[in-house]
Parts: sequence; structure tokens; C-alpha cells
Amino acid sequence: MKYFTYIFRNARRNPIRTFLTIASTGICLFLMMILLAFFDMREDATKANRVFNRIITMNATGFAGMVPIGRVPEVSRMEGVLAASPYGWFGGKYHDETMPFAQFSVDADSVFKILNEFRVPDSQLADFKANKDGAAIGRRLASDRGLKIGDPLPLKGDLYPVDMDLTVRAIYDGPSNRNLRMCLFHYEYLDEALKKVTMSSAYGGSLATDSARTSGNAGMIFIKCKNADVMPSLSKKIDDLYRNSEFPTRTQTEEAFGKMFSDMLGDLQNAIYGIGAAVVVSLLFVAGNAMAIAMRERTSEVAILKAIGFSKGRVLFLVLTEAILVAGLGGALGSLGCKALCDVVDVAKYSAGFLPVFYVPWRIALLGLVVSLFVGFASGVVPALLAANSSVINGLRKVV
Amino acid sequence: MEAKGYSFMRQTSSIVLRSVYKEYRRDEFVIPVLADLDLEVAEGEYLALMGPSGSGKTTLLNLVAGLDRSTKGEVTVHGQVLGHLSEAEVTRWRANNVGFIFQTYNLIPVLTAFENVELPLLLTSLSRRKRREHVMTALRIVGLEKREHHYPRQLSGGQEQRVAIARAIVTDPYLLVADEPTGDLDRTTAGEILDLLELLNREFQKTIVMVTHDPLAAARASRVLHLDKGRLVDEVIQETRVSIAS
Amino acid sequence: MIPLKYNVRNLRVRWKTTLMTILGTALLVASSCILFGLVEGLEYSLKVSGDPLDLIVLRKGSSNETTGGFETSKADQLLTLPGIQRDPSGAPLAAKELLNIANGERANGTRNNLIIRGVQPASRDLRPDFKIVAGRDFVEGRGECIVSKIVSRRYKGGQIGGLLYFGDKEQYRVVGIFTAGGSAAESEVWADLRDVEKNTGRDGSVSCVQIRAASLPDYEKLQKTINDDTQFKLEAKSEKAYFEDQSRMGLFLKAAGTLIAVLLTFGAMFAAANTMFAAVSSRTREIGTLRALGFPQSDILISFLGESFLLCALGGALGLLATLPLNLLTIETFNFGSFASISISFRFGWTVAAVAMIMTVAMGLFGGMFPALRAVRLEVIAALREL
Repeated sequence: MKYFTYIFRNARRNPIRTFLTIASTGICLFLMMILLAFFDMREDATKANRVFNRIITMNATGFAGMVPIGRVPEVSRMEGVLAASPYGWFGGKYHDETMPFAQFSVDADSVFKILNEFRVPDSQLADFKANKDGAAIGRRLASDRGLKIGDPLPLKGDLYPVDMDLTVRAIYDGPSNRNLRMCLFHYEYLDEALKKVTMSSAYGGSLATDSARTSGNAGMIFIKCKNADVMPSLSKKIDDLYRNSEFPTRTQTEEAFGKMFSDMLGDLQNAIYGIGAAVVVSLLFVAGNAMAIAMRERTSEVAILKAIGFSKGRVLFLVLTEAILVAGLGGALGSLGCKALCDVVDVAKYSAGFLPVFYVPWRIALLGLVVSLFVGFASGVVPALLAANSSVINGLRKVV
Repeated sequence: MEAKGYSFMRQTSSIVLRSVYKEYRRDEFVIPVLADLDLEVAEGEYLALMGPSGSGKTTLLNLVAGLDRSTKGEVTVHGQVLGHLSEAEVTRWRANNVGFIFQTYNLIPVLTAFENVELPLLLTSLSRRKRREHVMTALRIVGLEKREHHYPRQLSGGQEQRVAIARAIVTDPYLLVADEPTGDLDRTTAGEILDLLELLNREFQKTIVMVTHDPLAAARASRVLHLDKGRLVDEVIQETRVSIAS
Repeated sequence: MIPLKYNVRNLRVRWKTTLMTILGTALLVASSCILFGLVEGLEYSLKVSGDPLDLIVLRKGSSNETTGGFETSKADQLLTLPGIQRDPSGAPLAAKELLNIANGERANGTRNNLIIRGVQPASRDLRPDFKIVAGRDFVEGRGECIVSKIVSRRYKGGQIGGLLYFGDKEQYRVVGIFTAGGSAAESEVWADLRDVEKNTGRDGSVSCVQIRAASLPDYEKLQKTINDDTQFKLEAKSEKAYFEDQSRMGLFLKAAGTLIAVLLTFGAMFAAANTMFAAVSSRTREIGTLRALGFPQSDILISFLGESFLLCALGGALGLLATLPLNLLTIETFNFGSFASISISFRFGWTVAAVAMIMTVAMGLFGGMFPALRAVRLEVIAALREL
């Protein structure tokens, strides 16, 4: 492109301004990436896991409701199901830390058939299956807490009136966009402990209402299907089967389940999106202002270009390209930089257990890039039009 | 070649330059601008500096006005050796002792004529009322007391320069320095400005150092110095100046 | 000193640039203020929720009402303890409460967990400023409920006369809308204790007992009695401390708000610096003139810093002003601490003002510092020659 040199030199002529514009665009987009990724990540992760063909069954009234454990074998025998496991949220404390990381009671034999993107060394897996008090934890959880195979992992019950004295038997690893901070342990271990509590209905909070009463609560059922085609019919089949039982269920894909969590944030999500939009509008002002200043300083030069025969359209093109170049550069730095940073640095580690995993999905990073190009275009339009329509005579007068 | 009457003035020299040498450095190049210059300007003198571009006349003016420092040699203005002052002191000294008149007027576009003239007084401890008095006196001297509320862009070039002159004299400095004060003006207007400078020199005993290209302007001065390549080449003392009346 | 009007007028002369910068920074300041307004609203609701004489009794080891259940029989014993404040009719100011978390459907089709709180008559007096603002209070045993304004607006069947449906066995007819002085109760659905017991099949258990002590010594005695009783295995927490602990959501909002504020301040700083650099470079000759007239470097620095401050202060003030209409804003979201819906009302207070102020000062100072230093460092002679 023959004009590129000219455009590039122009962008560099006032390096401080160009730097500042790039920096402010970059920072704002960096922030936007974080905000958007916060909501999109979960969906993106589960969407990426579509290939795993998983569905989740929970009580129709919510997480608090009961899903009898007897249903797990029922479901796993169904046509199209490869494996099924109870998936119960324990929510215990670790050294008095409330909700430090996710803990699920699972079926040790089937859980890694379902979560088959996770890799566990065979010997460790066998060890985990063989020991009732065994726990399989994620690689990142292990490194965060300095846990090794064989280390004790005591969890104090918060929802449940029982404590789980676990021992790390396996450490699983997997793709970095997956939750590598979970603690999975034997369903039977929890259930037996609950049976021992010589207590009827009363113990256990609302989140564990029914489990505490009868034990035998799977919490949820995590189901691996043979292929994607059977998932809708299977979900319907499960829900239909239990519709008229004491505990009706709601079965949805892992993706929909993930989305449900994002949706719960409701207005906060809108508020954050609103802030994101405000930042973009603000960027329009900031970048537009910088471009307008740049053009004002160059009035005479534009006049010379036009005097030597550059058409209006060409001037328009030159100015717009420069604006898009500068904003795009900022956008690229901000959005791709944010993505790269989150890929390299394990940001979630610093969220005190709040986020098990944090990364910027590609579509969000690309959206950021597109937004910055739009900002460049929109911020350049007015200055470009003014420059294109400026009077040659007035412009030249300023030269002398 | 000394004229009568000057001997007395020379004794109370307002400005004394002793072996002043000035060079500029640009990267590895050293550009000498003034070479061993000796000069005395008497109090109340009206000195015009002439010479081709690059002869060092503006540099000389800047040295005398305390805007610039000599590389070697001493510049003394009204008994004050400028080289002895720190940057902050020379700034304060300028505020009290020098009035500036520029070719391009250099008024602050967002301030009115009154506010422009008032600017240097803001550096003094004068009360608002006193400042107003001084400003109005200065504007009266330049004949623009009715234009106090006008902004620079509402004034003609000649009027702008007169506001600039009012600003230069409002602190009642010893010395007025003028760099091509008529350079941007047409002949008639230039004449008016020169009349005003002459008035300031005659009636108010201001010492004036003026850089100019214009022989007509130089003709108004009491003494004309020609510079070339950093040296004084010619000195003309004009006993009979073209007067205001003529 | 260079008069301030010099700066004001310069900002006015370059009004397009000024306006764009102000609008840009205002939006950024407003964005941060919104989150801090929510933080402040949340903290306020937690603060007013705890009366200094109130105790909340949970099962030992549980950290939250939603996780801490115990037997009704113990709860009934608690209600007979001496030292509990009594209302004019002589009934104790204490209530058994049972919480259920049910998955409700919003009007827009998305879902969130709602806290259904089964209450006793005294529960109302235990909340600050409890009022029915529309409809009527529920009648016990008839499967009725009352909801807060925001729940009524957001949820399917939440309007007066509507039916909040969570399942065939759990559904409540909405008969009224209540407020409770902006306290945490305003995120909840309130129904009769016995109805909730029946619907959830949990008769015989409660989630917590709320108690107001008659006096401070009584309060201490009550707390000691309950905590020391080995039979109870219960913990009486100061309600004030309990609500302070429930600020996990607040921490999240604060972290997000701080991140946004810090990043946006940098963004705005660069924007302000851009404008100020342009201001300095277009006024080079003026600066040279001022210096020649004898204004010291410090005056030039102060003048340009002042202009930057002025610019940012206008942006900050406008941003702050833009959040004023949000005083009516209440958002309904998910609380990670209780695993249920929480309503947060925007509250304009010191935190918000402080955030706006700090942002403005940081922007003005750092955005203006480098341009102002450049102005100061200009060579007088060179500056005078500038076109």
C-alpha cells in the first residue's frame, strides 16, 4: 500500500499523542476484556465442552432440592448414556475459610469417564477409587495449597453437619480453561457420615434440606451421553420419568447449566455491560478528540496535499486510516494483551477462590479488536470529513 | 568621534557589555554568535541594532534583556551583573526591570487588553485598585484607554502592538527591549508605533534597545549599531533624529 | 500568579476539545461510581440489618442462615430464655425463621435462587422499619406471601395477586409488598413459618432464631448462655457481626469497582494528558511570553496543572452528577455468599464521592503533570520564536 508510509509517519509525528491515544484505548479495552470475559468465559468453556455431550439433572425447584441417589443407576442404564455420577455440592470450609474451592461428592468409578478431558495417572486413579476417604483434586488447587499425594485434606461441613477428613489420592490435570481447582471425593463417604448423624430432619441448612433428612441425595446427576443427538431426547426422557414423583427434575445441557449461573447475576450483568458500553462511548470522545487535535495541527499540510492534487476522497481515506490504525493498535494491545496475560498468568489464583478459572475467550478478544476498529473509524469520521472539505486557500495561508 | 554630551551619559551607563562571547551548540557543531563584544549604553539612550539575519542582533537583545546568558564575558544592566543571578532571580529581575515588545505582539489571546496589560503587575504585591490605576495610565499613554475590554482579535495590528507596549511599560521598567516592533505593520501604523517609542524615550526617559531591519525605524534612534557576524561594524550617533513632529 | 481566568478562558476557547475530554472523563468516572454506589448500598443494607441488641442463633459451625439449621425443640427453648425484650403485649421479641432457597423464574425467562423466609409475627419488629407499602400483610396458614418491590418487579408471578410458583408443592400467592428500611430482608420473599415448613417438608427444623435482648447486660448474658450450653450446639452471633461477615458480595463488588476505577483512571489520565499536551504545544509562544514577562517556572507549572485539574474536575463533577438519577436504581443479582438473589440499591454517599474525587485528582495531577513539566522546560527564546 503506497500511502502506508505517509500514514505511518503521520501517526508517529507526535509520538506522545499517539502513545497516549493507544494507551488509553488499550487500557479501556483491557478492562472491557476482563468485564466481558467474566460473563462469557463460563459459557464459552461449556460451549467448548459441547463435544463432551454432557447433561446435568437437578431438582426442578433448585439446587436445594433432592435428587434421590437411586436415580443415578436408573439413569446410567438408559439408552444413550455412557456414564452417570452423583454431583453434590459440599461447600465445606478449609481451615476456617468459607467456600475456598468447589467440592463435589461423586461416584469415583465413573466421574473421570464423564469428565474425560481430565487426565489422571492410572495408579493415582486406582488409588482414588480404592480409598473411601480419597480425594481427587485439580492441579492448580494442589499447587495453590501446596498439596501432594497422600496429604490430608480436612473439610469442615458448613451446609452439612459432618466433616470430611479426606486424603489426596489423585491429582487431575486438563486444559487450562477448565476448572483445575475442584476437589472430588466419594459420594459414599459423605453419605455414610450423614447416616451416622443421629438426627432426623433438623440438621442441615436449606441448601441441604433433603439430603440431611434422608441422606441418599445425589445433589445433581452429571451424565455423559453417547452423542449430541440423544441429549435433547434423553433430557426429556429423564424429566418425564420423574415428573410425577416426589422430586421432579430439570435436566439441561452442561452449556445451559453454565449459562444459568451467568443469568443468575441478572441486573449486575446488565450493569457491567452498561459500564462496558459507557467505556466505549468514552473512548469515542477520547480518540475523536486526539484525532481532531492532530488534524487541527495539520491544517496546512492537508491543504498542500489537496493543492498538489489529492482528491477529497483520498484525504478522507488517509485520515480515516490513520485513526483506525491508532485505535486498532490500542485495541490490539488491550484485548489481545489481556488475553495473552490471562493465558500466561493464572489470574484466578488471586481471586481467593472466587473464580476457579479465568481466561479471555477468543471471541471476546476479537470483539474487543472489532470495537477498537469501530472506535477508530467513528472517531476519525468527523476530523476526516473536516479535513477533506477544508479550504485549500485558508490552509495554505497558515503555512506562510 | 564622541559627541559632546555623551561623555556624561556614558558615565552612568545603563548597560555595559564587557568582552561578551556567545556561542550556540547544536549537536557537535559550535556556532559562535557574538565575538568579544564591548558595548555601553547610557541611561535614557535609544539604541537601534541593525544587521543581516544571523548577525547576532537578537541574541544581543536577549542578553541585555536577561532572556539568555553569555558564554563568556559580563553583562551589566543598571549596575546588576546578570551572570551573577540565578535563573529564578533573573526571572524576577526581568519582571521588575525590563519591558518587552515583540514583532508578533505576543498578547495572550484569551485575555482582554486590560488583562494583558495587567499581567506583569500580577507579579507585584500591588492592590487591585492600584493595578487598575497603573493599567489605565499605561493604556492612556498608548491611547487605548477606551479599548480596555477588547480581546486581541478585536484589535488591529497597530492597536495590538500598542497594547503590548502598554504591557511593557506598566511596571515602569528602566529598559524597554523591542524586537522588530514594526516588522508586521504597514508604514503608517509603523510610524505611529515609532512615535510612541520615541515619546517613551523622550518624555519618560526609558532606555530602549531595539532590533530592526527597517532604516526608517532605526532613524528614530539616538544611536544605531550595525552588527555583522557577531561583531560591531559601524556605529552611528544621530544627533538630529527624525522627530515626532516631522 | 497567572490568573485562573486565563485557564478558564482557554478551556472555553478550545471548547470542542474541552467538551470531548469532559464527556470522556465523566463517563469513566460515572462508570466507577456506579459500582461503588452499589458497594455502598450493599454495605448500608448490611449495616442497618443488624441491631446492636439483636442476636442471631445458628447451628454451631455454620456460617450462614441458609446453611445453618437445627431442631425446633431447641428453638422453642431459646424463646423462653430470660432477658428477651418484650413487645407492649408482652410477647417476646424473638422469632423462629426457616429459610428455603427456591429457583424462581424472572419475567425475562432467566432464573435465580430466591430466599423464601418463613417468619413469625415478631420477625417484623426485629427488622428496621418494616412496612407494608402495597396490598396487605399475609394471613398465616393460607399459603400467602409478601415480597419486596424489586422481587415483585423482576419475578414471574411476583405482582400482588400473582403466584410465585417453585413447584407443585411450593407456591405462594403474593398479597403485599413490603419494605424494611433498606435492610437485607428486602431481597427476600416472606411467608408464614408454618406454610414454609409444610411446603418444604421440614417441620421440626428451623434455620435460625432471631432474638432482641432487653438490654446490653441481658444481651451478653443471653449470648453466653446459648454459646456455653453443650446440649444446644448452637452459636448466638451478634447480628451486627453476622451481617458484617455477609459481605462476600461486597468484596466482589469492591474488587470489581476498584479494578474498574484504577484502570479507568489511567485511561482518563491519558486522555487528559493528550488534551493538555495539545494545550501546551498550541500555546508555546504564550508560555514564552509569560516567562519573558517574568513569570517564574513555578507559576507556569501551577497554571497548567491547575488547568488540568479544572478540566478533570469538570469531568468528575459531571460524572458524579450523572450518577444522581441512579439513586432510584436497585439491581437484583446473585449473592455468592448465600447462593441466592440479592437486591442492591445504589446509594450515593461518601465512598462514591471519594472515588470520584480520588479519580479526578489522580487524573488531573498525572494527566497534567507531564504536559505542565513540558511547558516549564520550554526554552524561553525558542518558545518565543514558535509560530
